[in-house]
Amino acid sequence: MGLGELTAQNLGLPDNEPAADGSDILQKRGFVVTGIDNVINWARTGSLWPMSFGLACCAIEMMHTGASRYDLDRFGILFRPSPRQSDVMIVAGTLTNKMAPALRKVYDQMAEPKWVVSMGSCANGGGYYHYSYSVVRGCDRIVPVDIYIPGCPPTAEALLYGLLQLQEKIRRTNTIAR
Amino acid sequence: MNKRYQALAARVLSRFGDQLTRVESTCGELTYELAREDLVATAQALRNEDGLQFDTLIDLCGIDYLTWGQAEWQTKDATGTGFSRAAQRETVLPEISDTFEPRRFAVVYHLTSVSRNHRIRLRVFTGPDNPPIVPSIVEVWNSANWYEREAFDLFGILFEGHPDLRRILTDYGFIGYPFRKDFPLIGNVEVKYDLTEGRVVYQPVSIEPRTLVPRIIRDDSRYASGQADEAADG
Repeated sequence: MGLGELTAQNLGLPDNEPAADGSDILQKRGFVVTGIDNVINWARTGSLWPMSFGLACCAIEMMHTGASRYDLDRFGILFRPSPRQSDVMIVAGTLTNKMAPALRKVYDQMAEPKWVVSMGSCANGGGYYHYSYSVVRGCDRIVPVDIYIPGCPPTAEALLYGLLQLQEKIRRTNTIAR
Repeated sequence: MNKRYQALAARVLSRFGDQLTRVESTCGELTYELAREDLVATAQALRNEDGLQFDTLIDLCGIDYLTWGQAEWQTKDATGTGFSRAAQRETVLPEISDTFEPRRFAVVYHLTSVSRNHRIRLRVFTGPDNPPIVPSIVEVWNSANWYEREAFDLFGILFEGHPDLRRILTDYGFIGYPFRKDFPLIGNVEVKYDLTEGRVVYQPVSIEPRTLVPRIIRDDSRYASGQADEAADG
């Protein structure tokens, strides 16, 4: 059963009707009733398209995560070259003073809803370059950050774990308030 | 130094002996110091003359000799409790004036001859001028263009005759020359996004500078005992 499959479990339905014959509620009755929030969050978590924003060596690990071994595609995570098509920005690397306005511009160009993943020590708080004259001491001085991934650079597994945490965070949000 | 380099050294010395103010040769590498007035003519000759044919400029960089040769920290004492982790550099910064020490700023050129397979290094001091200035060698080696912009950006060295001398690495509108020894490492400004203005703004730097030079004991009893062992073995 893939993560993106439309099942009662993935839509957050109470599993109150254990199918005696082993069939799913969807297959048994042909329809499913759920909250719109669940559907929205299911759709969002299943198609997190990141803006490719590689700034330094972290971007190499980001490429590893996207390549065949860890394969971000199976989570519906496809890198996009345009901020207009992106949902999440992975700030992968050292953010310099000169790059900061460009980063903010790209963030502003992304359509809502949007999330930011800060990848690595440099993006989290300046890291190795914290006392430098030319480096921003954390990309949260420029854009609001949802997930911080530690490491220098974080491994491909760490980035993957961070993205799964972001999916968890999105699942917890209620778009339509009750 | 092998014979080929000895021949090269003799050739350079006989050809440019009048211009060279200092000749160094360490680890089989040749370094020549010359006055900035002679730089362009010498560079032309080094590139064009048979047997020299330095067709490639490998690197060009600035140097600030302000704190050259000064140790941050030295001790002869032993300690039972340990030294604290870092040493404070105690440099007396020079007074701001119209002139510099004549041997403060230098520009270094690394030359290679692909056809002859030999290399030399040139060093030119900028003299007391403020701002420091040397002639550009873009006309001789075109690859010097961005190197000279870099040296201008980081050290504030002007290159007379450069076709497009502007900053290349630092932020747009950056003030100061960050590789000068009297430039504070943490800089003077930092950036943040201002929500009310809706743009990235500059503000004075908000953190304290930190001492970064570790206290290293370069010569302790281990080396002395090593020498004693060697002496015993010998």
